[in-house]
Order: sequence, then structure tokens, then C-alpha cells
Amino acid sequence: MNQVSEIDERLLIEAAQQDPSRFAELYELHFHRIYAYISRRVRDRSETQDLTAHVFQQALANLGKFSWRGAPFSSWLFRIAANAIADHARKLPRESDVEASPISNTNTEIDFEESERLACVYQAIESLPNDQRRVIVMRFADEKSIREIARELGRSEGAVKQLQFRALENLRGTVSEKANG
Amino acid sequence: MAERPINDQLDDLVTEILAGERPDLSNADPLVAQLSEVATELRGLPSTFFYQELKEQLTRSSEMSSTGQKIDPMTVRRFSTYICVSNASAAIDFYIAAFGATELMRLAEPSGKIGHAELQIGESTLKISDEYPEYGALSPQSLGGSPVKLHLQVENVDDFARRAVGAGAVIIRPIEDQFYGDRAGHLRDPFGYTWIVASHIRDVSAAEMQEQFDSFSKPKQVPARREGYHSVTPYITVQKAPELVDFVKQAFGATEVFRTTGSAGGLHSEVRIGESMVMIGGGPGMTERPSAIHLYVPDVDETFRRAIAAGATSLFEPADQPYGERSGAVEDPSGNRWYIATTVVPLSQIDKDLHTVTVYFHPPKAQELIDFLTNAFNAQEIMRSDSGDGAIYHAKVRIGDSVIEMGDARYEGQALPTAIYLYVDDVDATYEQALRAGGTSVMPPADQPYGDRNAWVQDPFENIWYIAATIS
Repeated sequence: MNQVSEIDERLLIEAAQQDPSRFAELYELHFHRIYAYISRRVRDRSETQDLTAHVFQQALANLGKFSWRGAPFSSWLFRIAANAIADHARKLPRESDVEASPISNTNTEIDFEESERLACVYQAIESLPNDQRRVIVMRFADEKSIREIARELGRSEGAVKQLQFRALENLRGTVSEKANG
Repeated sequence: MAERPINDQLDDLVTEILAGERPDLSNADPLVAQLSEVATELRGLPSTFFYQELKEQLTRSSEMSSTGQKIDPMTVRRFSTYICVSNASAAIDFYIAAFGATELMRLAEPSGKIGHAELQIGESTLKISDEYPEYGALSPQSLGGSPVKLHLQVENVDDFARRAVGAGAVIIRPIEDQFYGDRAGHLRDPFGYTWIVASHIRDVSAAEMQEQFDSFSKPKQVPARREGYHSVTPYITVQKAPELVDFVKQAFGATEVFRTTGSAGGLHSEVRIGESMVMIGGGPGMTERPSAIHLYVPDVDETFRRAIAAGATSLFEPADQPYGERSGAVEDPSGNRWYIATTVVPLSQIDKDLHTVTVYFHPPKAQELIDFLTNAFNAQEIMRSDSGDGAIYHAKVRIGDSVIEMGDARYEGQALPTAIYLYVDDVDATYEQALRAGGTSVMPPADQPYGDRNAWVQDPFENIWYIAATIS
């Protein structure tokens, strides 16, 4: 779903450079990996959201300056993200050394691989059956309790827990399939 | 912990993970431990609402940078629909199942009542709330309908409508090719809204569209036939007419809608079976004109059993046929043959003009009957299965809104010369045409006291055709 050939990506970038309204397609392709990358480096949802928004706004504003040199577009986005995280960390009060040095290990292949894997998991949610997908989104994205979800969906708490279980089982299957295939 | 049900164990771990803790997996069930790893990956899952909001924000920024100019403050950015329903939570479930919508967000009261929710349907957003009479938010149920129809342009309208119907929508105007180049129909959702669903199938110019549209306002010819009647209605004449009426009531659940004394002094009865009519007449000493009828029913085995119980004899027991229906056949005490069948798909999918009661002819030569029907009544052949050297096993022709079936008689006595009450637009013209086609006049056109004008013609196979139209 998130994979396009290098040629296609070049065409998409060129199209968006000519007509910025085409940027949405690049956003759709890369949102999940960038979000995953940032979310593993800042421990707060609203910071992740702010930084993700910042990365894509920067990318849109500077798209004209991007030129194709063989590295995928995602590397460029990751670099913007790494810089944004670093800037963000500098602005934080230095209470914790760990929080203050989130970029100490950026730009390594391992980071990107982890982001790719998370992006795959996020996207696998799209192919879950409707009721399972809703439970996962409400539980993990909206951080609602089982009780809240049960009330909103008009189901019993047991049923919601069962859906959560099935969904995680399905996701594990999809993800390990992807990893092996 | 190992004593707790597995769903609960997993949720305990999920709760810890969401709280940012690193759960202790040493005592956990191995499957639960594996699934909790997936849950760890999901911690911090982006919200659909955020994803969508950021996309819209970027689109707005990109539009600004595209124009590179000052934005007109009067610019309208987006038009979307906000509907009010009773039971918004159920409506959201429905739109997800029926239309493949995605829930973007909801603001729910502790009771579950929804103050505001947003769904993504295709490229558009649908906003929904429950009823709040104090704010003037009332649903179609409270208002007795909605004057606004919602329109969905979809890839394949037939498949799309099928899924929607499966989820609880009702087709209120069938999916059909439309003059403006779409294939479209109307669905009513369970919450009182009408959705027009459409797929584009061909380009039509504005001029051609207007021309078609103008033709609709020309006065239309109303079919000149009594309500409830199709073009073709079998008219069965037997000596024991009242007994036959009783038989079709018992065997086929027929309802008698009319009974009088016929012009020759016998009985004249009109019965309804399914969506079709059958005329039954006759009396002692009258020439019998029994019929063969292909009778499509919901359950052939049940109907067959009832027909036998009502006094029919079996011609063959119900069995699955290679041509895609289950059928059995009986002969009633008056000598009519009923080929009772249940089709695998709805009749309308086999042919839109196939009715519960479909007359089956066994002429000595089906080809000659087809020729006569074509020349006399503008019948159109719609299918045939033949030997390649003239013998026809099975054929169907359309006359008006009805289908007639036939096959060459395979043994002596299989041909049953019968009678058909045939509604046409112009009795006199059709009568003349039928005579030119080789028919013999039994009675020239005349106005009848019961409100029809009709003429009687006998075809070369001794079938009688009552060519009729209601007198306007």
C-alpha cells in the first residue's frame, strides 16, 4: 500500500513541484513512517503531532529545493524530522539527559527500519474487519478505556476485549507475513 | 494472573503499555505475551482525525502556494453535508457497512448520544449528529421525511448497491441506465435519507440530454389494459371451471378477484397467482382449451406437494435441472399441465419480463409459431436452443411486457391448443396485422360491456388470441 516504485515516486515529486496541490499524494505515502519515526523519539502525543505537522509543512514549503540524487524522498523527510526533533529538544528545559539527546542515534539504518515496520503495522490496521479496526483506533489512537469503547459501540466490555484480542492476533499475522514475504 | 481469561490478561497488559509502563511478561501466557508486543508497536498510533486534519491543512497551504497570490476572503473552501439522525451511533455503523465510510471522529455524551461525528466517504466528509430538538436538530423520522437527497458517484453502482442493501438499505428506485449517461438508482437508508447512487457509463452532450428530457414531457401513452394485467394472460376453458378455480386456489394459493357469467353462459373467473393473472372459463358441454403453464414459485417441492394433495397427478417429481432451476410437473384434473419451478436467481435476472405465470406452447413446429407471433404481434425472439436442423427444444419470445415459452411437441397430444387474452395498444390494427400473418377471424373488433374492446383470432395451430385493450 505504501510502496511505490522509484520511478513513480520521482513522477509524484515532479508533479508536486509543478503543482503543490499534488503534495497530498506524497503526504499519504509517507505520513505513517514519519509519524512513527517521531513518535519513538518524543514521548508525548501532542509533540508528535506538532512535529509531524511541522515536517510536512517544511517539506511542502521546500519541495522546490528537493532534487533527486538517488536517495529516496523518505530520507529527505527523515532528515527534516531529525532536525525538527533536535530543535525541539534544544528548546526543552534540560531536566533529563535522555530527553535532551534524542538525536544521539538518529540517521542510522536501524531507526528507519523500525519506522518502516511501525508504518506497516499502522497500515495493516486499515485491512482489519470494521469492528476490530474501530476498537484498535479507539483504544490506541484515541486512548479510550474498554468501558468507554463498549459504551460508544453499544457492545459489552467482554465483546470489546474479544475484538481487541482478535485484532491484535490478525495484526501479528499480517505483520509477520510482511516480514517474511 | 494465569487464572484470568486470556482476553482480560491481554487487556491488563495493553492498559500498562498505554500508560507507558513496561509490562512484566514472565508469567504471561505465551500468546498473550506475543500479542502484547504488537500492542507495544501500536502505542502512539496516530489518530485518523489528526491524519485527515493535517492533510486538509497541507492542501490549504498548497492551494495558497499554487496561486501565490492574495486569497480572496470570499473564497469558499469546501462544501459538506451535515445530517441529523435518530440514533447516530447506529447510523455510523450503517454508513461504514453500507458505503465503506471511515469514522474520523466523534464527540459522544456519556450516554453514547452523539453531538458531532465525522465520516469520510470517498473524497468527502459527512457530518452527523443525534437529534437535539432544542437546537432545531431534527431527523427525517421526526420531520416525516427529508427534502434533501444525497448523491454518491461510485465505481460500480450494482455491486455498491448490493452491499448497501445487505447492510439494510432499501432500493426505492431500481438501478437502471439513465438518459444522462449514468447508471443509477435510489436507496433509502434506515434513518430516512435517500441516496442516489450512480456510475458514469457514457458521455452525453447537454443538447442530447435536453432532447431526451423534452421527450419525457410529451404525453405518454398509457398501456390500454386493466390494472394488474400483463400483455399475455392465459385464458383456460374447461368444462369443470369452478373445480379448476378451487384447484388453483388450493394448489397455488391463487386468489379469485372476479367471477361472472361468461358470454357463452358459462363461468368467467379471474384469479391472481403471484404477480400474474389467469382467466378461467367454461362450463358443461363447452370446447375445452386447457393450457401448459410454466409456474415460477418460491418453493417447488411445497407447491408440488399441495398440487398433488389438491388432486393433480404427477408428470415428474421435483428435481434439480441442468438449466438452472428445480422443477417438477403435474397435470390437474381438467388436463392443464403445470411446470412448477423455482429458479436459483430471481426471475427478473433471467429476463425482466418473465412472470409467475408464463405460458408454454408445444406446437408441432415451434418455428412456425414464432413466425406467426413475430408477424402478427411483433414478438421478439430472445433465446432458443435447437438441434441446428430445424427442431426447437426450447425458445422464448417477448410480446409486450411478457414472455412466452415454447418447444416442439415431442409426442402426440402434447400440443394443447389454448387461448390467450392479449392486451395490445391498438386492437383494430393488431387484428388486421394478425389476419395478414395467417390468422383466422373468429370475431372482428367490438366494444364489450365489461369495458374492453376486443377481437378474436385463431392462429394456424388452433390457439385463440383475444386481442384486447381497455376502452379509455
